[in-house]
Amino acid sequence: MAMKTPRLSPQTLRVLERFIERPTAWRYGYELSRETGLKSGTLYPILMRLAKFSLLETKWVTTEDGVPPRHTYRLTPNGAALARAQQTSSPSAARATARERRPAFNEGKA
Amino acid sequence: MILAAFLRTVAIALLRLAIWIAPHDTHDWGRGMLSELNHVEGNWSALLWAVGGAGVLAKHAMLALILPGSHRRTVSSASELFAKELPMRKATLTATAACIAASLLFFLAPTFRQAFQVSLAQWHDVLHVDQRWRGRGPDPELQALARKAEQNHDAEALAFVAVRTENPSEAARLAEEAVHLDSNLTWVYAIAGPPCPTSAKINSWVPALEQWDPQNALSRLIVAEKLDCDEVMHGLSALRPPEKSAAWKDAMAVAFQSPKLDTYFSRQKELDRRVMLRYKLHNPFQAISDGFGFGFALPSYGIGDSHEYAKLLLASGQALESRGDRKGAFEKYWAVARFGQMMGSSTSELFVQRYLPDAYQRLARLSEAEGNHTEAAFYASLKAQETQATQKALAALRGESRGSDLAHWSAFLVRLSGLVLLVSSGLVLICALGVVIRSRSLRLSALRPSPSSLTVGFAGAIGALLSSAVLYVSYRPYSEILQRFVSKGDEAGLSELSNFLFATQVPLGAHGFLGAFDAVFHFWSIVTLLCVVALCFAVILHFRHRRPSSATVA
Repeated sequence: MAMKTPRLSPQTLRVLERFIERPTAWRYGYELSRETGLKSGTLYPILMRLAKFSLLETKWVTTEDGVPPRHTYRLTPNGAALARAQQTSSPSAARATARERRPAFNEGKA
Repeated sequence: MILAAFLRTVAIALLRLAIWIAPHDTHDWGRGMLSELNHVEGNWSALLWAVGGAGVLAKHAMLALILPGSHRRTVSSASELFAKELPMRKATLTATAACIAASLLFFLAPTFRQAFQVSLAQWHDVLHVDQRWRGRGPDPELQALARKAEQNHDAEALAFVAVRTENPSEAARLAEEAVHLDSNLTWVYAIAGPPCPTSAKINSWVPALEQWDPQNALSRLIVAEKLDCDEVMHGLSALRPPEKSAAWKDAMAVAFQSPKLDTYFSRQKELDRRVMLRYKLHNPFQAISDGFGFGFALPSYGIGDSHEYAKLLLASGQALESRGDRKGAFEKYWAVARFGQMMGSSTSELFVQRYLPDAYQRLARLSEAEGNHTEAAFYASLKAQETQATQKALAALRGESRGSDLAHWSAFLVRLSGLVLLVSSGLVLICALGVVIRSRSLRLSALRPSPSSLTVGFAGAIGALLSSAVLYVSYRPYSEILQRFVSKGDEAGLSELSNFLFATQVPLGAHGFLGAFDAVFHFWSIVTLLCVVALCFAVILHFRHRRPSSATVA
């Protein structure tokens, strides 16, 4: 049976790409937001959708004393497989997302 | 520094509120956003982070409200659920109760009660749609006033009710009683009788009016109106061309020759003021009679007849002039000019605009033909003056009768806030009822509102409070105009008040259907029906999806 997947928008691809760079690492929401350039209002619906389709797992981690625990995210094996498949099957999409991610002041210099 | 702390506080509060309203299965995500807030660099960035996150959670909350099944609870026990939500629940219940109490407090202010009454006026014709052919039922407020006035033998109050009673026989009875108690109120016959004075009473009222105020043209205008109405009643006007009877012409000839024309509007205004003060009447619709503030010089029933008779006089003057009878023609033209002069130059009556300048022009032409150049110049200057004065009066009337944008906006706000107040109160009541039914208890400690009931109830309470405030603020200036008129006789702003009250009687969303009250009625019936269906649907969905989660909780 085919795995149900969320709609893969360019923003979703961008998030998946960040995850696949370090597939086993747990990532923070703010860290992802900074790396992808996505605002919280865009990033969290993507994370929630990925989690809903069991492509993402979540965990609360305590970092240091006195600081509230943080919510962290990591791709599940299914999520990682999907991200890799997207990367290999659609290099143009990957390039497109890479271009989108590139800051405006670097345009034309690369 | 203070601003920075404030921005952080706002951001945290915003996210906390969003987490509270969000469905349970998104709480972890919300708390995740909240914990990340500690790591966001920059206070404005933190606020933007919170706004974005709150937007996501609010969207889920809305979805959960519309489709309750899409967000099931996954709590381990009921005690955990209530323990987590208790502080927020208490705060919301307190806020809801405070909003409801504040809305109810508005009702203590007489101005607000008036405003609420005015906001309900739009439904009058919609709800009385089936009674329009039978005439409206008696006004209980007027009936109570009539009973009091009869007990107190208060002639003025009886006259007040008589001119406002729609039942002709009751109006006649009250008017006669008022005049019987105080003959100075005989003028009430001129207002309570017409329009279309077909009752037998008018035959005795006209002589009484003539005897009381013999110089006034009004009694003859009433006679002419009665003759018109008799023709309509007997179907004569439909069978033959509009040829006027000799009796009608006689009545109008006497009216045009009368030394004065008094509509008694100013007497009525003074009487209204006194009665309203004496009986502490607050209904603005009772206070403002038709035509108040517009300075009409003719009663509505006298307009058509005056125009017709003026046309007849001008035509017969023309005929006499062509036959060489200048003296006869002069008398005809002069009769028209005199009647127009009685109305005064500051009036906006069509008669003064159309027939008076025409009569002056003809008089000037006749004088010129007679070789009397001075008189011709005098009539020409009168015509110029009259044209200028009536144009000014007409421009003022156009502005007054159309009403200012402010009056229309205020009327819109009053109608809208009245409607929102009703809907919000309904929502609060439904939620309260739902909570009581579900809890099967009336004890406050036993009532456990669900988040959705609490959210809807809170929204309803906020809506009730805001709409009450808007209703009060929108109506207050008009209440002040009314108070100034009633207490001091200050007529400034009466036409604005008249326009405002007229606009408030048009149901919201029914601008294109004015006069077609069936359409208005059906429009609102469909809206109400759709709302009821939507509410039933939401309630069914809510309870259907609650059962499995209740089982989990238990």
